[in-house]
Parts: sequence; structure tokens; C-alpha cells
Amino acid sequence: MSELSASSFAPIEAHQQTQVISRPSLSYWQDAWIRLKANKRALVSLYIVIGLLLFTIAGPLVWQVDPAIQDIEQISQPPGTDRGATIVPDYEPWFGTQGLPGSGLRLAEPANSQAVRMQWDALPGANGHRVYRNLFPVGSELAYGIPLAEFLNNDTLYFEDRLDLQPGRFYYSVVALDARGQITDQYQSLTVDLERVTTLQEALERGLIDAADNIQIGDEIELAWHPLGTDYLGRDLLARLMAGARVSLFIGIGAPFLFVLFGVVYGSAAGFMGGRADQLMMRFADFVVALPFLLFMILFKIAFGIGPGESGVFPMLVAMVVLLWPATARLVRGQILQIREQGYISASQLLGANTSYLIMRHMIPNTLGVVLVTVTFAIPSAIFTEAFLSFIGMGVAPPTPSWGSMSNEGIKTMLTTPHELFFPALFISFTVLAFNLLGDGLRDALDARMRNVE
Amino acid sequence: MSTLVEVRELTRFFDMGRDQRVHAVEKVSLTIGEKEIVGLVGESGSGKSTFGKTLLGLHDKTSGDVVYRGEVLPSKYSPADFQRLAAKMQMIFQDPYSSLNPRMTVGEIIGEGLRLHSADSIDSVKEQVAEWLRKVGLQPDHMSRYPHEFSGGQRQRIGIARALILEPEFVVCDEPISALDVSVQAQVINLLGELKERMGLTLLFIAHDLSMVRYVSDRMAVMYLGSLVELGKADEVYFDPQHPYTEILVGSNPEPDPNLERSRPSTAIQGEIPSPVNVPAGCRFANRCPKAMDVCRNTTPELIALKDADRLVACHLYS
Amino acid sequence: MSADGEKLNTDAPLLEVENLHVEFDTYGGTVEAVRGVDFTVDQGQTLAIVGESGCGKSVTVQSIMGLIPMPPGRITAGSARLRGHEVLGRNRIDGKEIRGREIGMIFQDPMTSLNPTMSIGAQIAEPLQVHRGYSATDAFAEAVHLLEMSKIPEAAKRARQYPFEFSGGMLQRAMIAMAISCKPSILIADEPTTALDVTIQAQILDLMQDLQKETGMAIILITHDLGVVARMADEVAVMYAGRVVEHGSADDVFYRSAHPYTVGLKEAMPTNDPALQHELKPIEGSPPDLFAPPRGCGYCARCPHAMQVCDEITPSDHFLHDHHFSRCWLHHEQAPIKPETIYFKDAKA
Repeated sequence: MSELSASSFAPIEAHQQTQVISRPSLSYWQDAWIRLKANKRALVSLYIVIGLLLFTIAGPLVWQVDPAIQDIEQISQPPGTDRGATIVPDYEPWFGTQGLPGSGLRLAEPANSQAVRMQWDALPGANGHRVYRNLFPVGSELAYGIPLAEFLNNDTLYFEDRLDLQPGRFYYSVVALDARGQITDQYQSLTVDLERVTTLQEALERGLIDAADNIQIGDEIELAWHPLGTDYLGRDLLARLMAGARVSLFIGIGAPFLFVLFGVVYGSAAGFMGGRADQLMMRFADFVVALPFLLFMILFKIAFGIGPGESGVFPMLVAMVVLLWPATARLVRGQILQIREQGYISASQLLGANTSYLIMRHMIPNTLGVVLVTVTFAIPSAIFTEAFLSFIGMGVAPPTPSWGSMSNEGIKTMLTTPHELFFPALFISFTVLAFNLLGDGLRDALDARMRNVE
Repeated sequence: MSTLVEVRELTRFFDMGRDQRVHAVEKVSLTIGEKEIVGLVGESGSGKSTFGKTLLGLHDKTSGDVVYRGEVLPSKYSPADFQRLAAKMQMIFQDPYSSLNPRMTVGEIIGEGLRLHSADSIDSVKEQVAEWLRKVGLQPDHMSRYPHEFSGGQRQRIGIARALILEPEFVVCDEPISALDVSVQAQVINLLGELKERMGLTLLFIAHDLSMVRYVSDRMAVMYLGSLVELGKADEVYFDPQHPYTEILVGSNPEPDPNLERSRPSTAIQGEIPSPVNVPAGCRFANRCPKAMDVCRNTTPELIALKDADRLVACHLYS
Repeated sequence: MSADGEKLNTDAPLLEVENLHVEFDTYGGTVEAVRGVDFTVDQGQTLAIVGESGCGKSVTVQSIMGLIPMPPGRITAGSARLRGHEVLGRNRIDGKEIRGREIGMIFQDPMTSLNPTMSIGAQIAEPLQVHRGYSATDAFAEAVHLLEMSKIPEAAKRARQYPFEFSGGMLQRAMIAMAISCKPSILIADEPTTALDVTIQAQILDLMQDLQKETGMAIILITHDLGVVARMADEVAVMYAGRVVEHGSADDVFYRSAHPYTVGLKEAMPTNDPALQHELKPIEGSPPDLFAPPRGCGYCARCPHAMQVCDEITPSDHFLHDHHFSRCWLHHEQAPIKPETIYFKDAKA
């Protein structure tokens, strides 16, 4: 050991052991916020939730497309499809082309989305013909597709198809009919690729070109852009999702807020009063829990005078608020019972605080953490409930968009145009997940504070 | 010395449903003189904490009276009663962790009494809070901090400031140091003593640490299972206990003195502390008392005065 | 002879802890909870480890027992040898389990240390089945016998009851019964009576002493109550800020205190000896932050006699006599204040 000098043994200056606290002062919320930020998953969820709210509120200002407008030329188009359309003259009726070269089932003109004009020669032994169209080739099973027209004699050997013409490939068939008008095995098939076209008139009306532009027949223009595609009525999916978000979030956030608010008031009253009143109130809450939700929804719908097929946003909201408050009430009551035993409540009483001061100033602030977490978990639950109800037709009805009803429509064409189901379902899933993860994160952040006593 | 508080046969039961009645405090009578420190000791189930709370109105009185400077206090307090008496009687609480609202700043906690009582301006309240922080050995700038940033001992100081800011006359200290470390206990005790002298306070000091109660108190009372069994000058009760329970209690209290401990006979009590529910007839200590007689199991002993009026025991050995 | 019938060299200490260092990784950084603890426990003896909250006494014994989860905890240095065999980081010595068999342990709050869904008898029987291969029936019978040894009346009926049916004192007895079931050579009691009333505490301490006489086991008693120490201890180790600052016989530590902290503790407690009445003298301030432990003596900031060297260099052991040692620079020959003026004020023996 090194030699120690005499000065080493000089007494230390009387240092004032001041009760210095070096770390900065953090309130409950500040501390919880820091903890939340440290939780990566919760932070990402928070951003998603904020993004969602921006999407709903500010989205329509950025993407100013009317969700109700139908883009006929682009029905059920998945995102990213080619939007080119050639300008063609306005439609004029057609009654067959005389002296059309060729034989058998053939196109009179190039097929486009305005009309598909075909002609054929009478099939041997036919006493008439029927025209079919299919999305898939007619195979050995003779799956002709949907019947478009029927001719009971051989006088008419041409047909113009104007039904729901989406660009793509169709398979037309002409089948011979026998003397009694029944189809035979005799048929001819034609593979037709449709090109998208539009008229100058429509293009002008839809704002796709200006009058000043020098667009001629035969020029190519671009149709409206639908970043997420269109639904089965040609409506822009993105705009519909934004409008649907409004409905879903109105219920998804509005209902929880209301029933949590009621639950807090009810639970605080019960917890504070204690005794008989508390018992009675809680038994009533138990009773409400036992009521069947769907049944009440229907009852409210009827009571509100909303018929089937009409939108029932309000009944849904009312049903949720009236039936879902007991869980929060119970939770808050439990908290209040705990808080009531804490020393600071007695201390405040002794200092002369009256009942409302105690509840508002001491008890409720200490339950806010729990309440916030409850709300955050109630939201995805409500959103999902709304989606489910709209999905089964009990919620909003067409044309009002909601993610649930959009999913309902999309599932019908799930195999052919999956994007109509995919996007609304994706939004529902992401929203619910984000709120759940955020709720988890909030609970951890707030709970840790409550546990950290020393 | 004039009487400040007179307690007459104070009784407090709790009904727990299904005919379970907890006899927390049973006919306890006590007088507390001005500027006196009366210590109250007892083990679990003795009812000492309940007694303190009932005295101040935090529990309703089942029967009995509390007389403060000649005025009989209500048996059930309304918020207006608390408001009226707040500047006269206060309490210092046991658990430093749950006795301060974690959502309020220290300044708000200490200033609450002023805000509820006086029409003082915000600045005036702030000044007074700062003053009190200094008085209890903390810094004025601690006002804006939250309870969780302080140690147990510091939190107790905050609790003391809160209780004393309205300058009460009578303070009930409900186990104020039990949750603290030994070296910190002495800090808080000394602070209490200092403030008591300065402000002329009267204290009811409730604790289970016999040595500390004896050190602090002028007179000491011993409770067992809701009843008062002995009362007298603190040193007398400690060094010359008359009630068998007090004797055993003092005998079980370990001294920080190895030789003394080695020479002590083992006087450990028999049995367990009974539950305060459905208490037996007669003297409550009878089934564990080494000197129990037949009369003890039948008749409840009254609190009687020994040689001088200040020395009271509730035991058939002396009747 | 130990309870197991092994022949022992009674001169060698039963348990020897040397330079133990334990750290924890926490949310706020690394805490050095134990910073160089040494003590010995002899056969059949009671060692009391005294200190306040945060001094590291619980962490010390828990590391010996292997109860510290190893992340976030870490033993960074030191050894603990039971009968010469290293115990740290091991589960068995000589083929016998350390935890539960060689060393038994009881904790502060019996309510939370016992499984509320198992009967008391079953819980006491468990170590017998696990460590000594008893059958369930034999183990239960032995459990009843152990409850009797712990002075629980109606032991057979009680063994079938559940923890909620027991009072605090009885639960502690049940815990003791469980801890001694495999006849350990050491019983570690971590604040066993802190949560109990003083009369029940007396019963439990009496029980522990009686059992010690019967079985010859050593006891390590952790407490902050100097009265309990005076009552139970043969040897005392005083801990502060992760270190042992004074170690000696009970008489040494109480009557010939050789460290300012020991003196401070005594002066901060009321005594009932009329001859020794004093004003309570608190120790100002609070224990140091072990996230950034002081490089010198941990007590320096609160010590009324602190010198420059105390702040800079950790004091080494100073042996006073026999095995009484103190870690304090005041014992250094160059210290200006004579220790006798501070210490030995209550010298009796």
C-alpha cells in the first residue's frame, strides 16, 4: 500500500448533505410517455393510429374523389391495370354488316368496350341460335357461360353485345337450336379480346381531357387513376375506404368513449358509496351483461324505424353504449375501492375535503391510467363489432360505405377480383392490431409507473 | 395541565356480514392533557390504529364520546364537521407510500389544507408551503416534484408538513415510523419532537415499537384486543408493568444489549393472538394469561386506579 | 458431529464467504449490490448480518443459495465455501443438493412464501421427497413430526390445512419446519420476524434457538433490529452499502463498537437501560446510490469523522483482536482522532 500523507487524514470539509435530487422531475404522464416511446412496437402502433386518423380526416382533402361516382369503364379493376382507352365515335346502333368476309362465327369489327359485334352463318340443322358468353374457354363439358340472346329462326345471324363489357378476354359461343328450341351439341366458339374505348363526350364530361386539347378519334387517353382499384360498381376503392373509415371510426371511437364515460361515472359512484347502493348497482350491471347484443341491435333498429337494407349507424351506436358499459364500470369500481383505502384519501378528508372534491381531485385522476387502457382496448373491439355487423348486413347498408360492408361485397367476388375484399379486410386488421398493440404498450407504460413505488 | 381531549368509553365495531362482528375498539376511555404526548402500544388486533382513526372521525363511533375542549364531537362526521375541526386535529399516517397522492406534486399535497381553508392567494400559499418544506428539513424547490422521487423518510416529512400546515393543536401519529429504516426513524422522531415543542402540540403517538414509544411519550397506554389494559407514566409502565400482558410485552421486547438479553429469562407468551371477531366473555387476555383466575374468564375487569390516579390497570389481580 | 453424523473438523469454519461481489443489470444501469463481503460462520453458531435496506444483506445470502436470477444478476467475484466446497454457481456438493438440503432458508413474509393451493403438510413434505427420496406417506408423517418440533399444537390436523388458515406466527413456524426438514447444516433466516408482533417474535426466536440446540445447525440471521441481534447472535457482521464494515462477536460489536456506522446505529435507537439514556442521534442523509458507488468508504458521506482519505480509498480491514475487525481509516496509525474517543463508550466487558 502506498504511503499516505498526513493531509490524507485531514477532516473533510463539513459537506452539507443536501437532499439533492439529480434526476429531472417527471410527472406521471411524462414518465409514462418515455416508457411508451421506448417500447418499439407500441410506438409503431401509435404512428399507425395517427396515420389512420390523418387518413380519415385529411385523406379526402388530398384524394378528392367522390366515392359514389361510378367509373363504368373500370369496373372491378384491380390496382395497377392499364388505364388506356382509345377515343371512338359515339355509339350508333348496328344491324349487321352486309357482305362480311369470312365464314362461321366472326367479329364484324374489332371488339371494344363499347360494343362487340359478331356475325355467323347458320349452323347445319339449326332452327335458331343462342349466343353465350363465358370468361373461361368452353371445354369438353360444354360450359357455354351466360346466355346473351336467343333467336328462334335463322333470320338473324348477327348479335351486338353491350352487356357489362370490361376489357379483357371473353369466349363467345353460338349454339344451334333444334325444332323445339332446345340447344343441341352443335356450337361454334370465338375468343375475343376487348379493348377499352371511350367517346369524346364522356371523356369531356369526366374531366379526362380539356376541350382545348386536340384529341381526335383514334387517340389514346388515360382513364381515371384508381390507386387501389375499383369495386364491382366502378367506384374508387381508396375513396370508399376513406369514407368507410369515417363510419368505422365514428362508431369505433365514439361508442367506446361514450360507454367508458358512463362506466366511469357509474363505477365511481358505486365504489364510493359502497354498501347496499354499491351492491344494487353492481347487480344491475351484471344484468346488463347478460343481455344479448345482437338481439338488442335488431330491436333498436326496429325501434328507430329502420328497415332492412337501410343504414343503421345509430342503432349500432346506441346498442353498444347501452350494453357494453358494465365492464368498465366494474373495473373503475374496483380501482375506486382500492383507492378509497389509501392514506391520502383520509388525509384529504381530515383537511376538510368534501365528497365531490375527493372524487374529482383524488380518485378519478388515479384511475385515468386504467381508463385510458380500457378505452384503447375497447376501440378495436368496437371497430370489429361494427365490421362484423355490417358484414352480416345488420349495420350500415349500401350505398353507405363501411369497411365491414365493403368486405361483405368483396367476398362475393373473392376468387375473381380479390382486391375488393383484400383492402377493406387489410384496413380492419391493421387498425385492430394497431390499437391492441397500442393498448398493450400503454398498459405497460402506465402500470410500471404505478408499480414503481420507490 | 388542562385536558385537551377526553375519550369516554369509545367503541367501534365492524360488521363483516354473516354475524361476524369485529370488536375493534371496546369501551376505551382516556384523557389527554394539553401539550402531552400519550403513547399507545399494542400488537395486531389491538385496535390502536382504529382507535386513532375513530377519535378523529375517520370511522363512525359505534358508541362512546370524544370531548374536545369541552365540546362533544359528533359520532358521525359530515364533510362540514371535518372542515370545522381541520385546524384543530390532524393525523400523520403510517405508510409513506400510500399516504401521498402520486398524481399531485409535493407543493399541491402540502398546500391542500390551505387551499381548502383559507382564501390565501396562490403566491401566499406557495410561500407558506416553501416555509414548511424548510421546517421539515427539505428544500423549497422540492415543491414541484412528485412523491415517487423521494425516499420513505422524506415522504414522511412531507406528510408531517401536510398535517401541520393548518397549525392544529392535537395530532394523532399513526405508526409514523414503522415503515422506515432505523437511522431514518430517529430523524423523523427528532423532527416531530422539535415541532411539538415549537408549536405546543399535543400528540397521540400510536406504534408497536415499545422502546420508541417509551422514549417519546410522557404517558403510555397499552391495548390488547380492543381494550385498554394499562395506562400510566411511560417509564413506570415500562419498568414496572402491572398488567400481565404488559409484563410479557416488555419482556419480549429485545434490548440491544447482549448481556442483558442473555440474563433475561425466557418469558415468551403462549398461544396466538386471537381474532378480534366474536371475542370471548370476561377478560380478553384470560386464555393466554399466566396468572389467570376463574373470575377472569367470567367477568371483564374494569380499569381501576392504583396508588395514584394516573396509574390505571384493568386486571382482576388488583380489584 | 454434524446432524448428519459426519465427523467434522470443528476448528474450520462451516461457511466461509470471501470477497463476494454481485451486480445487477437494471433499467437504470448496473447496480453493484454487494461489493466485497467477507464473513465466516462456525459450526452450531449464530451469525447475525445487520444493516438497513439496500445494504446488500439479502442479496448476499441469496447468492449463496443460488436464488439470484443470473441475468440480470451476476456474481463478478468471490467465493463461498461450505465445508471447503465451493457453493457459488453450483447446485450440489458431495452429491447433495445445496438449496433445501445443505442449507435451509426462511423468508420475511410467510404469507407470500408459501403456496396457497397446497396444504402445509404437503409443502413441508416436498423437500423430503425431492432431496431424500421419501415416499409421499413417509414424507407426510415426517412433516407432522416436524410441525410438532416447531411447537404447533394439533400438528396432525394442522398439516392438512392450508396457509390461509394459519396466523403469521404459525406460518413462520411451518416455514421453519420446512427449512429444517432435511437437517441442513445452516439455516438462513432473512428477516424472519420483521413482519410479526413482538410477542410472536419472541416465540419464534425461542423456537429457533431450541432447534439449534437440538440439531446443532448454524444460523445466519438477517435483520435490521439490533435488539434481535443482541438476543440471538454469537457473531455479528454489520453491512453498509454492499460491504461488511464491522465483524466480531456480539459483545465486541455492541460493547467495543469499532465503526462509526455501528455507533451511529446504536445512537439512533432508544435504549431502555436507565444508565444509558441518551437523546436519539439520527444518522443524517441516506445510503449512497449503488449505481455509481463511491470509490472510497461507502459511509463517508454520512460520517461525522470523515477524512480526505475516506473519500478516496476504500479502507482495508483493521483487526482489533481475535476475529473482531473493522473497515475504517480511523484505526490507521496516522488518523488524528484516537478511536477510543469515539468508540468503546459503552465498554462493559
